[in-house]
Amino acid sequence: MIQTGNASFVECNGRERAIRLLDNGTYKELLGPFDGLESPHLEPQGIVPQSDDGVIVVKGTMDGHRAVVISIEGNFQGGGIGEVSGAKIAGTLEMVLKECESGKKTIPILLFDTGGVRLQEANYGLLSIAEIGAAIVALRRHVPVIAVIPGKIGAFGGMSITAGLCSAIIMTKEGRIGLNGPEVIEQEAGIREFDSKDRPLIWGTIGGEQRTAAGFSDLLIEDDTGAVKTAILSIIKGDVIFETKTEQVQRYEAFLNMADPSRRISPEDVRDLWNQSGKKAFENCSASQNAKFKGRGQTWFDLLRNDAEELGDIPSVRVADAFIGEKKVRYIAVVPDAQNRFPRARNGEVGVLEGWSIAKHVRKAIEEDRNGKKRAIVAIVDVPSQAYGYHEELLGIHQACAAAVDAYASARLAGHSVISFIPGNAISGAFLSHGMQANRLIALRDPEVNVHVMSKQSAARITQRSLEELEAAAKKVPSMAYDIESFEQLGALHSLVDGVDASNPGQKDCNVIYKEIEKAIEDVAMSGSTDLKNRLTSSFAKLGGRTASILVREKLNEQWN
Amino acid sequence: MEKITYTFPATKNIDHRAHVGVVGSGDLEVMMEPSDGSQTEVTIRTGITGFKNTWEAVIQRFFSQHDVAAKVRINDFGATPGVVAIRLAQALEVSTLDSNGKC
Repeated sequence: MIQTGNASFVECNGRERAIRLLDNGTYKELLGPFDGLESPHLEPQGIVPQSDDGVIVVKGTMDGHRAVVISIEGNFQGGGIGEVSGAKIAGTLEMVLKECESGKKTIPILLFDTGGVRLQEANYGLLSIAEIGAAIVALRRHVPVIAVIPGKIGAFGGMSITAGLCSAIIMTKEGRIGLNGPEVIEQEAGIREFDSKDRPLIWGTIGGEQRTAAGFSDLLIEDDTGAVKTAILSIIKGDVIFETKTEQVQRYEAFLNMADPSRRISPEDVRDLWNQSGKKAFENCSASQNAKFKGRGQTWFDLLRNDAEELGDIPSVRVADAFIGEKKVRYIAVVPDAQNRFPRARNGEVGVLEGWSIAKHVRKAIEEDRNGKKRAIVAIVDVPSQAYGYHEELLGIHQACAAAVDAYASARLAGHSVISFIPGNAISGAFLSHGMQANRLIALRDPEVNVHVMSKQSAARITQRSLEELEAAAKKVPSMAYDIESFEQLGALHSLVDGVDASNPGQKDCNVIYKEIEKAIEDVAMSGSTDLKNRLTSSFAKLGGRTASILVREKLNEQWN
Repeated sequence: MEKITYTFPATKNIDHRAHVGVVGSGDLEVMMEPSDGSQTEVTIRTGITGFKNTWEAVIQRFFSQHDVAAKVRINDFGATPGVVAIRLAQALEVSTLDSNGKC
């Protein structure tokens, strides 16, 4: 690479960024442009692939410390995570984890420049992001996992949750982090909620400066390669230590309880709230009376818990401990709440309150069972989406989702059986937060059980295709389809249950699900594994559902040393 | 998407393989690898269809000016002819660098 005088980091492409961080002459690129691992899913859709699928993995040293830099190329397909690019990230982190576990400390550094899931590969992105998250949570027990969000795109969608899981986030003023991009909020909630053309509004809400002042990013730096290096090294050397955001449930809950979304909150208000939340004692707000909509989540929660006492503290996140035979189980369901303080989360979406509440109740179970028998945790999944709104972004919905992801993953790693039971919709960021970190996924075979990453309207807008074109593409690529049978082809489901009434279940249906949950718990115990690898070793995965994901990991393993 | 291939007779080998550019708006990715044969083989994939004549003109001109035997792959995302020519020249330059030529 010919070095120019410009030290800007933002202006560099993905590969230049990765290489410039590492010590001269030490780097080795893995699965580079000449290794022939491009996305197999783009060409059939008439889209030109890139030789590295937009993710650059470079191994080397940084000031003598062993490090691996994973850099996302934002200019290729908006940095979207597809099967190959996702597997490159997840597979690399899994390799780093192996090294760390064998005592060879290696620092993973993630350079984000991504819109999130690549919509043309949809559910592959979703699966990959769950695997990336799982690896980060596991890695954080060994080394700091460092996120850099330089801009120009930033970190969005599922990848904002990924960033939220990292030990520290470094941003420039140009960087942005948010769960839902401005265009998507405008599409889903209207231009009065968010005007995607209003650049000061965008950066005021989700830009690096605001995020760092409001508790969602740790270091704000200049756009300069040297500054990026210095910041990363200060974390590697332990000169600065940040509290893990996903574990600070109390502080973020206090912060959210002080926020009043009945009026429009300004970015400055949020900075004040964040500063106050560090000082104020946490007051629990009491659960308001829930107007009982009967969604599937609610129905199944009531049926499965039987008469067990409810432990939840907000109406939209229902929690109860019950027994299946001898086995203690904590059920968690996200349900509609017509009085939710956040109007955008009233239909059962996962919003800021829901994410942190899930995290709290999962962590409580981990804490209570620390020295005893680990109860199973069952996520009942019927979630229409994450909440789309201005306040949601301003108050860090991505971090709330990350907290839930982290809690479920931590429970899994601590030895709890985490099971997802999917009787309804399992959509996008909501599913990533509530369900995707489970050891085993159980779904009902039913036309209204859907898994996907974005509503068709938004996906069409973002990929600049018509609805008809989108639907035609979905027929060719199973990962883009919304139905549960297509999702099954990808190999992540433990079981797809037939003959159960999903909407109006009776005791007979309930008993079937008890059996399924019991079987899944036993399967987890038998396997003795606490990671998500079973999704890649299932027969569907091997028979073609995850061909590229498996191949990428094999090649990484070959090239590693 | 359109796929176009060309072959030209060539005599001089290049030293290293080279990779430049990104498959991003108005840009393209060029991969150039040494080939032992006596010809250059160019494979183009482009998302913008209907510009075969323009491609032919740009590629012809470049390889008539530079006699190199190489395997060239191009992934295009709407680069203008000028950008194509500059990226090809850059790839050729990188292929002659003696160290760190892999990026």
